[in-house]
Amino acid sequence: MPSSSFVSQAKEMNTKQVVAVVGASERIGSAMATAISKGNYRVLLQSENFEKVQYIVNEIRRDSPGSDVEAVPYAMEACWEADIIILAISYAKQRKVAEEISQVVNQKIVISIAIPVSDAPTVLLTSPYFSAVEELQAMLPHSKVIKVLSCPFTNGLNEPGMDAQRLDFLIAGNDEHARQSVCDLVKDAGFNPVIVGNLAAGRTLPTITSLLHTGNKNN
Amino acid sequence: MRQQQWHKAPDIRGFFIFEAGVSAKMGKVDERAGRNGTFPRLMSFHSGFVTNFIMMYSLYFQTFNTKVALTGEEQEVIKHYLTVKKLRRKQYLLQEEDVCKMVAFVEKGALRSYKLNEDGSEHIVQFALEGAFMTDLYSFLTNEPSIYNIDAIEDSELVLITKSASDELRMLSPKYQEFIFQATSEAYIQLERRITYTISLSLDERYKQLVANYPDIIQRVPQHMIASYMGLTPETLSRVRKRISFNK
Repeated sequence: MPSSSFVSQAKEMNTKQVVAVVGASERIGSAMATAISKGNYRVLLQSENFEKVQYIVNEIRRDSPGSDVEAVPYAMEACWEADIIILAISYAKQRKVAEEISQVVNQKIVISIAIPVSDAPTVLLTSPYFSAVEELQAMLPHSKVIKVLSCPFTNGLNEPGMDAQRLDFLIAGNDEHARQSVCDLVKDAGFNPVIVGNLAAGRTLPTITSLLHTGNKNN
Repeated sequence: MRQQQWHKAPDIRGFFIFEAGVSAKMGKVDERAGRNGTFPRLMSFHSGFVTNFIMMYSLYFQTFNTKVALTGEEQEVIKHYLTVKKLRRKQYLLQEEDVCKMVAFVEKGALRSYKLNEDGSEHIVQFALEGAFMTDLYSFLTNEPSIYNIDAIEDSELVLITKSASDELRMLSPKYQEFIFQATSEAYIQLERRITYTISLSLDERYKQLVANYPDIIQRVPQHMIASYMGLTPETLSRVRKRISFNK
């Protein structure tokens, strides 16, 4: 049985880690990039829509002048420089992006924050027995793949009046050290990390969040 | 899981890696020249991505093969434990008080490690140019916080191995074990030489010895860093250089 655990404050690192956000023009991607850039990180924003990420980068620089952010045109370039990769992409693009970055992400932490839903939000695109993130781990066998899901309403991230501190981020992954690093990252971004276990334990997460999203839309 | 990879047929990129490895063993590959078309066949058939990929590890495996010969398959397996990373000029790979969790190998560019004094002065301990390793071995082995900073003095491309990956690979591959032993021995000898020259030679002799043994460092590294490496002020180093050129 997967057990939940709140993670204690880890010792802050002096060395700046580099985080690449692939799909940074999407709402969740840009929200994550903006949140992380407030911590001691260098953040590389990448998307097919390069103009849009440049715009987001300028916004972040304007709002927090000390931040170390940069727009990078290619996913492979961004991931080559990064220590931690965040894939904020739809399930449909997962295979293509995984192929593109596969040679530069060995041993690195790859975080998937997308939910594999189709346009009809209750329809999951993957088999319940083999989640999208497990597929990603299979495509990137030498990376430490971690599933991160905000709970309950990812859509609330950008909305005014939403108390970011109240957001729990559920974390699932097979590598213990990687899970811990992602906990630190989520905490630095101002959210509340909750480890739920390994990737198999994380299978139920998309189903739950998908339902919550539907509920959110219906309300 | 990982052991199965030994038998996994490499994909087309793996084939080229294998080819590059064999050529490297035969001493034919100059990895820097490679960028200018050492692999014309490959360059013409594949995108820059594939070429880049080969370049990411080429010097590492060339160095590996000169110490311990690897098969293409062994190379593929070792590659899975390695991390490639770009580091821009002036960015840190390690800052003091953090635990050093990896050993870096310089594929391209240049790194330095230095100790920062309370008055803000830098004391450079080591340079690493292409083909050299860089780490804080004490911190890496003991998990104690480092007293050094490591940063890039040029835009760099690195091959990293983390402590956990290195430990795992050492159990798996006697050849990797041997490679690490040889590389560590070389680093030890270099340090021993550096101490010996520092305590036994005159300033002029030390600088001449540096020029003779590390001409690349002298050419590429700013003078004030050379002075710091020698434990001199830039002014003293300048006088030493003038004296040497005058006496030629």
